[in-house]
Amino acid sequence: MKWLNILRDRLRALRQRDDVIDDIDREMRSHLELQVEANIKSGMSPGEAREKAMRSFGNVSRAVDAAYDVKGGGLFETLAQDIRYGARVLLKHKAFTAVAVITLALGIGANTAIFSVVNELLLRPLPYRDADRIVMLWEVSPEGRHQNTTSRANFRAWREQSTSYQYMAAFSDQRFTLTGDGEPEEVSGQLALPEIFKVLGVDPILGRTLLPEDAEPGKPPVVVLSYGLWQRRFGGQSGVIGKPILLNGVNRTIVGVMPPNFQFHIKQRSGTGRPAELWTTLPMPAGTIESDRGRFLSVAARLKDGVTPEHAAAELRTIQARLSDEAPQFNKNFSGEILPLREQFFGNVRRPLWLMLGAVGFVLLIACANVANLLLSLATSREKEIALRAALGARRSRIVRQLLTESLLLALLGSVLGLGFAWLGIKALMLIAPRDLLGLQSVGLNFSVLLWTLGVSVLTGIIFGLAPALHISRLNLNDSLKEGGKAESGQASGSRRLRSVLVVSEIALAVVLLASAGLLIKSFIRLQQVDRGFDTQNVISMVVRLPFARYREDAQLVAFFNQAMERLQRLPGVRSAGMVNFLPLYGGLGSSTAFKIMGRPEPPPGQEPGTDVRVVDAGYFQTMGIPLLRGRNFSDVELREAKRVILINEALARKYFPNEEPIGQRLDVAMFETPVITEIVGVVGNVRYDSLIDEAPPAVYFPHPELAYPFMTFVLRTDGDPAAIAPAVQREIRALDPNQPISDVRTMEQVMSEAVSRSRFNTLLLALFAGLATLLSAVGIFGVMNYSVALRTREIGLRLAIGAQPRQVLLLVLRQGLLLTVIGLVLGLGASLALTRLLSGLLFGVTAVDASTFATISLLLVLVSLLACYLPARRAMRIDPMLALRYE
Amino acid sequence: MMPTDSRYRHFYVARLKEAVVPKDKADLLQGTLDMLILKSLSLGELHGYGIIQRIRQLSDEMLNVEQGSLYPALYRIEQKGWVSARWDVHETGREAKFYKLTRSGRKQLETQEASWDRLVLAITKIRQATT
Repeated sequence: MKWLNILRDRLRALRQRDDVIDDIDREMRSHLELQVEANIKSGMSPGEAREKAMRSFGNVSRAVDAAYDVKGGGLFETLAQDIRYGARVLLKHKAFTAVAVITLALGIGANTAIFSVVNELLLRPLPYRDADRIVMLWEVSPEGRHQNTTSRANFRAWREQSTSYQYMAAFSDQRFTLTGDGEPEEVSGQLALPEIFKVLGVDPILGRTLLPEDAEPGKPPVVVLSYGLWQRRFGGQSGVIGKPILLNGVNRTIVGVMPPNFQFHIKQRSGTGRPAELWTTLPMPAGTIESDRGRFLSVAARLKDGVTPEHAAAELRTIQARLSDEAPQFNKNFSGEILPLREQFFGNVRRPLWLMLGAVGFVLLIACANVANLLLSLATSREKEIALRAALGARRSRIVRQLLTESLLLALLGSVLGLGFAWLGIKALMLIAPRDLLGLQSVGLNFSVLLWTLGVSVLTGIIFGLAPALHISRLNLNDSLKEGGKAESGQASGSRRLRSVLVVSEIALAVVLLASAGLLIKSFIRLQQVDRGFDTQNVISMVVRLPFARYREDAQLVAFFNQAMERLQRLPGVRSAGMVNFLPLYGGLGSSTAFKIMGRPEPPPGQEPGTDVRVVDAGYFQTMGIPLLRGRNFSDVELREAKRVILINEALARKYFPNEEPIGQRLDVAMFETPVITEIVGVVGNVRYDSLIDEAPPAVYFPHPELAYPFMTFVLRTDGDPAAIAPAVQREIRALDPNQPISDVRTMEQVMSEAVSRSRFNTLLLALFAGLATLLSAVGIFGVMNYSVALRTREIGLRLAIGAQPRQVLLLVLRQGLLLTVIGLVLGLGASLALTRLLSGLLFGVTAVDASTFATISLLLVLVSLLACYLPARRAMRIDPMLALRYE
Repeated sequence: MMPTDSRYRHFYVARLKEAVVPKDKADLLQGTLDMLILKSLSLGELHGYGIIQRIRQLSDEMLNVEQGSLYPALYRIEQKGWVSARWDVHETGREAKFYKLTRSGRKQLETQEASWDRLVLAITKIRQATT
């Protein structure tokens, strides 16, 4: 009730300042009139009566002011006073203010930077209409591989048998060669059903999107452009609708342009690995279950209102079970799964991001503890001033408010500078962020980020300000006034205890961060040391993709690639050259192809052994440094004609021919429409194709004439800097076909670097935060020890005077600092044991409780804190006993 | 707020009170004045001028509360919900703001009187012991 009254009055005072003053004024006048009347009654003349009344009333305006103050109007006036006074205090203690503001700015800046990423990726709505209703539908393979594409036949079944969706659309990414005006260029496109735009709920800015009748036979092929492609190739002209565009040598009519920010790139199973820049109709010819069995479709759908993803997933699994029964030869044991779009995009970064936010939270807490410590020492030196204010009648709440205003002022200054740091931090984050962190380009300081920063700074201001403020307001006036806050009074020792607690907590927090960073660093090193199976030094790669319109026959493809290889191998500076359809660690089908071993009993459907399939030439192995372990490489003839020979890797040999000679065995690898039997002629070393983390799966290598691909990745090992050879390669390819671009030029070092980029990103960030935390806690220890030495000057002087050796004094101080460190260390290690478990998904080759990591960081921390204690200790050692005793 | 003279006068009382009820020192003057105001209102509704008059009458002209002290205290009490206020016409025909004790104000008065009595008793005992 009381609070309600006060609040009501304050709010009223705020809104109607004049009304409140009028009311008070009216009351004062009424009071005066009553006094005048009483005076007249007692026999005075009216003039005399008024004069007397006025005199007894004193200063009316001051009474009104005092009354107004109580009524709550004073709140804002005292706030202004507090701010003015606080600003003066901060200006007076410049060094203190600078250190505190920078410390806070580091903490707040790091927080803001990470939060802006979290906000962008995990909190902000995705740029589609009602994006939380959009889901992806995938198959789960019998081996338990997730997010697998589905077949035309199965997609039709899903669409017909499900009831959970408003719209459902299949799509598949594909690269197109764009020729015509300007340089030939490779662009990424999406073959999609027209419903995809209804699923996503995005309208074109020009023309229309795809229509079902576009797919009808005999209709001219159409295409929808992305905003970027429209700007780049057509200068953003609105007259582009209805114009033709030459894609893969075929003219298509442009029917629409999508808005600037629109993209829909599902990295998993994308055939291009790049966001689509154009959309064209996915052909869905009426076919048989046999002809429609190929799994290459990704599927997106919009849930009906009220349908949960869980319900949809259950329905999908039911349909999959039915399909498994109907066509076991294709669908046996294939299950299904549903991923909400946000989960699809950012599911794998969610955990690391929240961890990073937690880590910067720790850094901020340490910064708070440090500033609280600084404020405590400032408050101690201000004891006399504050005691005086209390003695003059300032209430405790008033003093606490004053001190809190100061700390909030500090926090706000810190957050302004912190926003600057955050801005730089975000720029830096973008530089080191993995390329596949989609959407990171738009990270910036937007409104919700600013709101977060403001919230964080107010909260920090209260956290680090409250303890010192409450502490100082409990001062014993008498002692402080008498002693001027110099000697070690009861308060000072209380403050020392509080400071020690703060420092111990800082150290404990820093230990947790150091332990986490240590584990990540060790994982990162282990990841680099993994035997990946190939040599990256001086190797460059590039993709050449031949358009179907000009290269319809397999023989044309084989001839082109062989000619290209011959030219490249002759280039000066090229030591060897080769080619492969999909590079290691850089996309690929990623699927497992079934095979049969001739002469062994046929396994039941769904249980055939699986293998990775790559298409190569003979030079590939030498160029990549993959050793030939047994047998022979492909011969020249085998690279010109299909001779039905293959190479296998060691993993396949070990797994399927453990006690037999693999050379000469014959396999039927299900890459062809009719069974094709091939003979193993050699065994090569394992290569980690999918990821550095996973063991190399069994693999089969086909020479390219047997399984001609319209694109190949060329790899060249050079004498010097591999990047310098790229223009020469482009020249050679142009000489063969002037309309033929090369794309995706990158050195193998770059490919490797990208493969570990996420691990490096996490490691770098956490190491940075841990470093910051350690630095801040070192500053904290230094501050406390320095203060402690200052307080004990007399005592230390006395010790020295009665014969203590300087070395003993040094040890005395170091011991005290070390004690704080060790307590913090033990607490921190305990917390780490519990918390590093959260890292388990990010670790590689090291457990979450790695003893050697914990030992290393403990040692590091002790060394740092000894260093931080050394300066105060040296100061203590050099105290002049005579001066110290005369002190005060 | 600048300290007033009366505050210095009461600083000693504050020290005394600390011995009995160690509480916020600066609040003592207010506490005492609050009690006097509540007491004067316990006999019936009054305006500000009337409160001063009544305190003077009841103390046999010994206590004279100044307007500058009365009104801030009165507003503070009003905010705490111990009194309620309304504008009305005085018997002389002038308008005035009348204050009335609320139920919680009455309770507050009882508590304050009791603790005051304890204080007086304690002081008396100490004085008798020293004489």
